[in-house]
Amino acid sequence: MDAAWQCSEMEKLIIARTQNTPKILLDPEAGLIELTGKSYPENTSEQFGPVFDWLEEYFDGSPCNQTIVNIDIDYFNSSTSRALYEFFTLLNAAVKRGYGLEVNWIYDEEDFSTEEDGEEFNEEFSELGIKLVKK
Amino acid sequence: MLAEHMLDFRKSLYNEGVVFCYSGYMTEDVLMSIGKVIKQKLEVDDVDKNIARSVFSVFVEQVQNVIRYSIEKETALRQNEKEIDLRYGLLMVGYKDDKYFVTCGNMVKNDNVDRLREGLMQIQQLDKDGLKALYKEILRGDSPEGSKGAGVGFIDIAKRAKKGIEFDFSQYDDDFTYFTLKAYI
Repeated sequence: MDAAWQCSEMEKLIIARTQNTPKILLDPEAGLIELTGKSYPENTSEQFGPVFDWLEEYFDGSPCNQTIVNIDIDYFNSSTSRALYEFFTLLNAAVKRGYGLEVNWIYDEEDFSTEEDGEEFNEEFSELGIKLVKK
Repeated sequence: MLAEHMLDFRKSLYNEGVVFCYSGYMTEDVLMSIGKVIKQKLEVDDVDKNIARSVFSVFVEQVQNVIRYSIEKETALRQNEKEIDLRYGLLMVGYKDDKYFVTCGNMVKNDNVDRLREGLMQIQQLDKDGLKALYKEILRGDSPEGSKGAGVGFIDIAKRAKKGIEFDFSQYDDDFTYFTLKAYI
């Protein structure tokens, strides 16, 4: 069973964006993980629960050689920061097991708050080498 | 009489600098609708982007604290039979003495007062770096007992409330205490 076959075996997961939750795209074939929009639900488990399940399965098998993670969330609440922390913890574990990941933290040039949040996560998960990317 | 009474109430809010006031059950729908209006008002007033963003963030954290922790609640059934808690709280957003403020008040159990007070006193004494460090510490560990959210909501409020936070408790009866948190931006 080669890697390319396995990574395309999983289903793509797309969760539509709402006023207070981000668009989530998990594409195993393209090796793409994307979170886009705003995230401030009171309870994050509805949005992030399926993401965590998907990621565990994805990193359990043989994912595509390189996985690109794009996080473009311009506002998130404290519940989401906990979910993001768990998200990065999962990615960190994958990197430690030898998976190739490119993690981009995308922010608006004038948005100091989101830039700072990216720096904080990068400090905390230095093995991920989170790249701060201006929009 | 009726109009006079309402006008007096309106005037007292005005004198306190209150631009927005809501007293009632808080849900995610209420949060999103009020949030939209607050954003629009801040845009109309041409408020600095980063300040507007802090006001909005503090508003979200404050209201979500009420949604999670207000002990004054009713449980309703939605159409899909899923239970939803309606939690009672009081919210004020305003501007006075060159400061924006977001105030929330709700009932808590007497048993929780000491823990809340200690937590908030600790947060109040920390500077920016101290708040960041505590925030990370909590994210790394498990949620504090009795906390359903990230457990970092108050720290987030303190981080964004550049002009400080104030809090107070007023015992209501043998079981309950009224809790208020005011954040200045």
